[in-house]
Amino acid sequence: MDSVDIEILLALQDGIPLVREPFAPIAKHLGINPDEVIERLQRLQEQNVIRKFGIFIWKRKVGIIANAMVVWAVPSNRIREVAEFISRFKNVTHCYERRTVPNKWEYNLYTVIHGFKRKTVREFVEMVSKEVGVVDYLILFSVKEFVRRSSGRVRPEGTGTP
Amino acid sequence: MKTTGRLDIIDRRLLEKAQVVPLTLRPWASIANELEITEEEVLERLSKLCQRGIIRKVGPALSPERVGLRASTLIAMKVPESRIRKVAKLVSKCPEVSHCHQREHEYNFWFTVAAHDVVGLEKILENIRHGCDIAENDVLDLRPTKIFKIDVRFQLV
Repeated sequence: MDSVDIEILLALQDGIPLVREPFAPIAKHLGINPDEVIERLQRLQEQNVIRKFGIFIWKRKVGIIANAMVVWAVPSNRIREVAEFISRFKNVTHCYERRTVPNKWEYNLYTVIHGFKRKTVREFVEMVSKEVGVVDYLILFSVKEFVRRSSGRVRPEGTGTP
Repeated sequence: MKTTGRLDIIDRRLLEKAQVVPLTLRPWASIANELEITEEEVLERLSKLCQRGIIRKVGPALSPERVGLRASTLIAMKVPESRIRKVAKLVSKCPEVSHCHQREHEYNFWFTVAAHDVVGLEKILENIRHGCDIAENDVLDLRPTKIFKIDVRFQLV
């Protein structure tokens, strides 16, 4: 990332204007061609600095009210296979392997699953459990969301913040 | 939710499609094309959906680790029901916390934290734990070892 990339991200990270040519204002501000802004954004996306570019929805307001973190205890030699299976489904937004806390918390695979109804999420989890043969899991439904903010932000000097 | 019923099929298709916006000079024109409506209608509908608080942002999501946040974790805590609100207030104030939920389990309070490095992360966690007055034994620190998937897009149609 060079200083122009950072200027672009600083200008756009909290949102682009809802106009026909949303990248024109920042191009004008930086005195460069809009095509260059777009090329730079594409490169940042290829480099996975930009993970997603699009609209962000308050999911509860469109009816997606069932949010579960489902944690699975998977034999360590099967982690990849199980993770890849479950990651194929669109209603699974996150899938991480995490450290366990021995003798206290043996779950090592963490998935976030969304749905319009809890019932659908439960049935989906039961299906996955049967398919992969992992029966030790917990469905932790969210009852309240207190925080949702993007942690990835650029600062003028180009390092991450909070 | 009170807003659910007021989304027509075009809104839903737009909300689904626009979760990935092409990086082009006129991105809304391609979305409009796919939905067989005009670019103006896309923009009008989007700004209404923003005003109604259904869309919270139009723009990029940056990968925390690619902008300098190299250490992160998921924390689960056992918090007595009577203290949930107070703890939530304190944790929410912490800018390094990106997600925080109350969940149905003995470990009922879950949040994610990211920092520049492990030392910074541990300092933040220590501050939170002290500030919330939660015993060390009631906290699970679940560090990630591998990310298999992050793809936050919702199907609405």
